Amino acid sequence: MSDAAAIAITASRQPPTRWPTTLTAAAVLVFLLAPFAALVFATDWHDFQFAPGDLDAIRVSLFYSGLALMLVVLAGTPLAWWLAHYHYRGKWLVDALLLLPLLTPPLAMGILLSSFYGPYSPVGGLFSQAGLYLTNTAPAFVLAQIYGAMPYYVLAARAAFEGVPEELEQISRTLGRNRWQTFWRVTLPLARLGLTAGVALAWVRAMGEFGIVLIVAYFPQGIPVKLWVNLEDMGLSAVYPLLWVFFLVAVPLPLWLGLRSRRQGMF
Amino acid sequence: MEIRYQLEKPVTLDIQMEVRDFTVLLGLSGEGKTMLLKAIAGLIPARGHPFGGLAAERRPIGYLPQGYALFPHLRAWENVAFPLPRGAGRRAQAMDLLARVGLVDLAERYPAALSGGQRQRVALARALARRPELLLLDEPTSALDMATRDEILDELIREVHDFGVPVLAVSHDPHLAMLADHMAVLLDGRIAQEGPPRAVFARPATMGVARLLGFRNFLAGRIEEIAGAEMVVAGAGADWRLRTGLQHDMRPGMAVTVAIRSEDIVPDQTPDGSAPNALKLQVVGLREEGVALRVRMEGALSLDMLLPRLQCEGRSLAPGTDMWVQVAPEHVHVMAR
Repeated sequence: MSDAAAIAITASRQPPTRWPTTLTAAAVLVFLLAPFAALVFATDWHDFQFAPGDLDAIRVSLFYSGLALMLVVLAGTPLAWWLAHYHYRGKWLVDALLLLPLLTPPLAMGILLSSFYGPYSPVGGLFSQAGLYLTNTAPAFVLAQIYGAMPYYVLAARAAFEGVPEELEQISRTLGRNRWQTFWRVTLPLARLGLTAGVALAWVRAMGEFGIVLIVAYFPQGIPVKLWVNLEDMGLSAVYPLLWVFFLVAVPLPLWLGLRSRRQGMF
Repeated sequence: MEIRYQLEKPVTLDIQMEVRDFTVLLGLSGEGKTMLLKAIAGLIPARGHPFGGLAAERRPIGYLPQGYALFPHLRAWENVAFPLPRGAGRRAQAMDLLARVGLVDLAERYPAALSGGQRQRVALARALARRPELLLLDEPTSALDMATRDEILDELIREVHDFGVPVLAVSHDPHLAMLADHMAVLLDGRIAQEGPPRAVFARPATMGVARLLGFRNFLAGRIEEIAGAEMVVAGAGADWRLRTGLQHDMRPGMAVTVAIRSEDIVPDQTPDGSAPNALKLQVVGLREEGVALRVRMEGALSLDMLLPRLQCEGRSLAPGTDMWVQVAPEHVHVMAR
């Protein structure tokens, strides 16, 4: 390739800066981020103190979201793998049904859960007899988070598994590794980035779940419900400390994973 | 090693053939060659032997698909070590195998940083780490550059001979089959012919096999005469006669197909067409093929001739000109119709 051609190609990859588009992009970015900047100024840094019960809310959110995330990954990974690997007639129907919990508004989902697992339903009755009450309890809280987070995780994990060439899994078998070993040594490492994205997404969904939790498990109060309660009881200025904590625990993990997966041109 | 495999889906195949040393199964694309290899590897359901009924991971085979399927997340030596059991000597064993295919210097590289030929050898070392009883190669020439292809193939064949594992390579490339110790031709889901390449290339059993092996001229004829060590074939409904060597399964009056390679037709050097099988034909088309010239001729019969450049020099060829050509009797191949 001649130098001139090489220069032409480099040039076409980096279009010359055009002020109108740059300005528009900057304006939209400012619009998106302005509320976050406002939080810095709105916070009363001299009188930064938590409302009563805020620390409990943080503990509840962290602990139960972690638990919910674990259950989502444990149950969602096999489902995602199965969806990615098996092809049969009528699979579109399964795909559509899988989207149902994802597309249902959280509030509606909460109502569905309370009528399905509530104390007066047959299923809720069975659980109650076993000593497991699924309204306004810790298990109900985790259940609500699972319903909020699992569909997102399953979709992301399924896409990640579908991105692994089937041929590599087949070759692993011809090299003497069974399906289980192949999953750990080939599928999982190659799906790693997509799976971590799914975990990050599930974490944010579980932490931030408000609609479902509000209906099914008002108690124990996690951060989102406590924010709502503070807002109602004490007004806007009382929510900032907890809001800061919410950002600090919910956002860094997904942000870090997201940046990492974008930067790392894998292998 | 005798191979018998039958499968119905996604293609119908009923294969029975011998594999010894470096064996090539020749067939057109879409004939199901890859499916046969996958069936032997246990990756698709099929009936057959050896290894029938075993799970893929329990079959002692090495499988090199097209593109080689190296694991992109593992370094060259880790790819080779993949089938080896965990233990202290794992890395040393992998390095030893890499050394045998001449790649020990590239052990730390990821597959993305290797050339096509290097990937093939890493894949070979990985397959051999399994200690296979049979090595399956899918189109081993397809991912190689023309410039380095022959060199890499020679190397590959030498290496598999060194390791002493029988190889079944499937390909659509007659050139690869010529280099084999044994070959078979797949046609319509069955083995149409098998044997040493020299025999198969010289005596294709059917027109389909001949076509796959690169024959371009097919003529319908009839055995007119058998005399001594020679036969004469006459055109069916056309006025031509060709002398050919004796074949034992032929009888006078039999309907036959005559097959002639384009490169076996040469300009007649005698002045008046006195050579055996001399034919006076008219040039109707010319096409350059690299440094050779492909000449289409018509007359009592239609022929396609490939003229090497040495033969073109000093000759003025143009459509419409007449030309004497000949084909040696031993190059006129006769098949029962």
